[in-house]
Amino acid sequence: MTTATKPTTGSTGATGPTGATGSTGSTGKQRRRRNTLVGWSFILPNFLGFAALTLIPVIGTLLLAFTNWNSYTTPEWIGFDNFRRMFDDGNFWTALENTTWYAVGHIPLTLVAALGLAVLLNRKLKGVGVLRTAFFFPYITSLVAVAVVWNMLLSPELGPVNQFLKFIGIANPPGWTTSTEWSMPALVITSVWRDMGYYMVLYLAGLQAIPGELYEAARVDGANAWKRFWHVTLPGLRPTTFFVLVMLTVSSFKVFDLVQVMTEGGPGRSTLVLSQLIYRQGITQGRFGYASAISLVLFLIVLSITLVQFQLQRRSER
Amino acid sequence: MNTTTLRKDSTETGAPPAAPAPAPPGRRGELGTTVGRVLLYAGLIVLAAAILLPFGWMLISSVKTDNAVFTVPIQWIPEEFRWQNFTEIWTDIPLLTYLGNSLFLSVTITVLQVLTGSFAAYGFAKMQFPGRDALFLGYIATIAVPWQAYMVPQYIMMEKIGLVNTHLSLILLQAFGAFGVFLMRQFYMTIPDEISEAARLDGLSEYGIWARMILPLSKPALASLALLTFVNTWNDYMGPFIYLTDNDLWTVQLGLRQFVGMYDARYAMIMTGSVLSVLPILVIFLLGQRYFVQGIATSGIK
Amino acid sequence: MRKIPARALTAAVAVSLLAAGCGGGGSDSGTTSDGRTVVKVALWNYDTTPEFKALIEGFEAENPKIDVQPVDILADDYADKVTTMLAGGDSTDVLTMKNVTDYSRYATRGQLKSLDSQVEALDKASYSGLDPFELDGHYYALPYRHDFWVLFYNKALVKPTGADLSNLSWADFASLAKEITKGKGTDKVYGTHFQTWRSPVQAIAAAQTGGDQLGGDYGFFKDQYELALDLQKSGAMMPFGTAKSQQVHYKTVFESGKVGMVPMGSWLAAALLEDKAKGVTDVDWGIAPMPQIKADGKTTTFGSPTAFAVNKKAKNPSAAEKFVEWASGPKGAAAIAKVGVVPAYTGDEVQKAYFAVKGMPSDELAAKAMKPDAVNLEMPVSDKTADVNQILDEEHELVMTGERSVEKGIEEMNKRVKSEVQ
Repeated sequence: MTTATKPTTGSTGATGPTGATGSTGSTGKQRRRRNTLVGWSFILPNFLGFAALTLIPVIGTLLLAFTNWNSYTTPEWIGFDNFRRMFDDGNFWTALENTTWYAVGHIPLTLVAALGLAVLLNRKLKGVGVLRTAFFFPYITSLVAVAVVWNMLLSPELGPVNQFLKFIGIANPPGWTTSTEWSMPALVITSVWRDMGYYMVLYLAGLQAIPGELYEAARVDGANAWKRFWHVTLPGLRPTTFFVLVMLTVSSFKVFDLVQVMTEGGPGRSTLVLSQLIYRQGITQGRFGYASAISLVLFLIVLSITLVQFQLQRRSER
Repeated sequence: MNTTTLRKDSTETGAPPAAPAPAPPGRRGELGTTVGRVLLYAGLIVLAAAILLPFGWMLISSVKTDNAVFTVPIQWIPEEFRWQNFTEIWTDIPLLTYLGNSLFLSVTITVLQVLTGSFAAYGFAKMQFPGRDALFLGYIATIAVPWQAYMVPQYIMMEKIGLVNTHLSLILLQAFGAFGVFLMRQFYMTIPDEISEAARLDGLSEYGIWARMILPLSKPALASLALLTFVNTWNDYMGPFIYLTDNDLWTVQLGLRQFVGMYDARYAMIMTGSVLSVLPILVIFLLGQRYFVQGIATSGIK
Repeated sequence: MRKIPARALTAAVAVSLLAAGCGGGGSDSGTTSDGRTVVKVALWNYDTTPEFKALIEGFEAENPKIDVQPVDILADDYADKVTTMLAGGDSTDVLTMKNVTDYSRYATRGQLKSLDSQVEALDKASYSGLDPFELDGHYYALPYRHDFWVLFYNKALVKPTGADLSNLSWADFASLAKEITKGKGTDKVYGTHFQTWRSPVQAIAAAQTGGDQLGGDYGFFKDQYELALDLQKSGAMMPFGTAKSQQVHYKTVFESGKVGMVPMGSWLAAALLEDKAKGVTDVDWGIAPMPQIKADGKTTTFGSPTAFAVNKKAKNPSAAEKFVEWASGPKGAAAIAKVGVVPAYTGDEVQKAYFAVKGMPSDELAAKAMKPDAVNLEMPVSDKTADVNQILDEEHELVMTGERSVEKGIEEMNKRVKSEVQ
């Protein structure tokens, strides 16, 4: 809120109209009020729908975390009981650990793969549209097909992946989705393969915003391709990378569909993730209060990571 | 391999600052470039093939018999081609109705999301006013809550308003998400403020700047937002499943699940339907990705 | 120029929103335009589940004043949708109870209407699968169908061995399965196939030893696990990991003649009949009683009933009750027996109708299989059921994939059920 009084906040890199003409004293206040009105008028159409249909139920859900509710009778306020229960629940800790592992693998790998693909396919080549489409395919291929083929590829005895590993001299290749130790890596590989095209699309859009003359100038300065990538492309992509990073973080911590289809959380509990636990406890078992408590914790985790990312982004823009 | 392609790449991308492509591909006759290009194509094609394998399985399964879909070991060439799957599916289920519903929902939601999202993003990216950052954080925060957690409270609310079992419920739920706002805000921030400054001096209102200056510049971002929103809506299963009860309101994703029975499933038909339901996405994607070209004005303005 | 498409789009969206708002919903008055009382029934896959059509048409023929309308829900996530609908205060009159666990959840939450007076009027002795629906002396649903597990076998594969399937012990079963097994690669024929669920190991062990699956002491699973693992090791059964990751389905392997014997619920019969009629398979199949721990001529197996309940918020409760009563009674039983489904109500008439279905095996072996001496409930009902179920499922997977030994697995089940389930 204090940001508005400063002429340039640097907070988001945007210098609004106030920043440009902050000198004239008396009209400053009026201008600010007008700015607020105009600013809100931009946000309102989306915000109305968003607040009524998403924000309210979300806040409601977070409140339910302190109640006992079976979706039918009136919720009963029980304070922190759900959180105490969660603390003692082995399934919660397992799911939290698994989810974290998934995120740690999925986020950097997808980011790098998506960025690489986007840079590679951001050019005027014949058939580049077809190639871009091809890399988007994993995202639109039916999840059932994805699960079947990847399970087949990673099949312990007959799968081509393990055949190859044996061929290059690895005597005991992993059991992938049939072993507790390797099921999570198998899931990460599949998810990176599936999601990279999605984030590639975002990066492709981001690349178009980098002014061509920056490359031109860099070339005049004698920078080679690698240097240009580091000093022009990457800095130019910073807002996109921030967006991709936040979305990747959020979606990794919320991962559900792929796990459900590929391993159902198994074998055992080796790929059980938080969203699955929330779904099981809520919809399946009817403990909506407890499910909301887990959601609240998941929410706080993701939010704090996002806040850190925000801070880092601000700093890098100063 | 990777670095060479990267190097090749930058000579290409860096080259065209002006709008019309300065050097049509293939005209550069140097030997190194040609070899590089061949290698690049070869590499990309191999990679693309690996990427498409599951899709290939989907295609093959779509012309199998139901019993031949899940076999051990996997069957890459069907013993029996059942092409009639592609004709029978239209009469087995009202697929045309489902496709129509999916199309209606996806288009409406995409248009609304793109319009309101890009509009709101201008407020967040280019305006200064109190509460802006807090509000924005509020937007981002809701993305962090899994839908599984709040779907029941949301459903109860919708039931109270009387919108359950209508397309409108889904449109309202999905058109105003934070995703579009966030995506567009990030893109707007890459657009130099000098552009809006200059327009302001010319006497344009903020709305005018958004409509005449910013929107045309953000075609690539609008295209990616539209593409991703369309695909996500088209492939959504849980939302339509929970909100739509009447069969004539169902979307493709719901319709295909009818082939999954209590004890067994008609997998070949599911794959046939999946192949058919991917086609519209393909068209949209091929059309939309053409907008991933350098914005003209970013380089035009000093 | 630039503004026109934007405006046109906005207008188009506004119009379509209005259209969407008007469409759907349908009449909620509770009667049809010609004055018939509407009874809405929540069920799954109406078009492909013939029993529902048989029940609805049979009932409407006798009750012309009532219009029964199916509310079609996908089978896959049926319970999740019903839970959500009821949370929102939905007024669908009749709810199909897919299994007893879901039933107890809805009933204990107070979402179902009591059917005590209807149960009192029943000839209880003729019903199988009624007991599980009793909760503290009250009934909130009436079963209309009761599937139980039998042994399906492929005649072409079993006949040459000359084995008599009428009185198999599990040990006999195992050696027979190994005898049937032959071939390699794509031609491999397995002696038997256990679906990856825990039931073919755990529920059958519980039913035949009298063990309690909610008890937290699972020593009684041991023999059946050793049997299953031995079958798997000897190659007479597909490895669990492969079956699970490739989503191998019992019906597919059985219909393609790749497996000799499959212990499975009686619902498979109806599916096989349908596929044979459609020409999908030409497998020559039969039904035998489930193998027993001790081959003493008595058959104990397990099963799970399916029932109809009346929503507490039903729009037309009395008509709904009438439908539930009819569907679960003798007339409803006859109607579904004719499509090859095992009804909860049993009587000679119904039995006759069942075996009269075209293509149904009607030899002595089948007759014995379809008249087991005891059918225990697949999984006991209590508020712990879902939690215990989850744990047993997870540990089952680990034992079957060989990640845990049988002893370690059972130990883990005991420990987890005691510590995690309150």
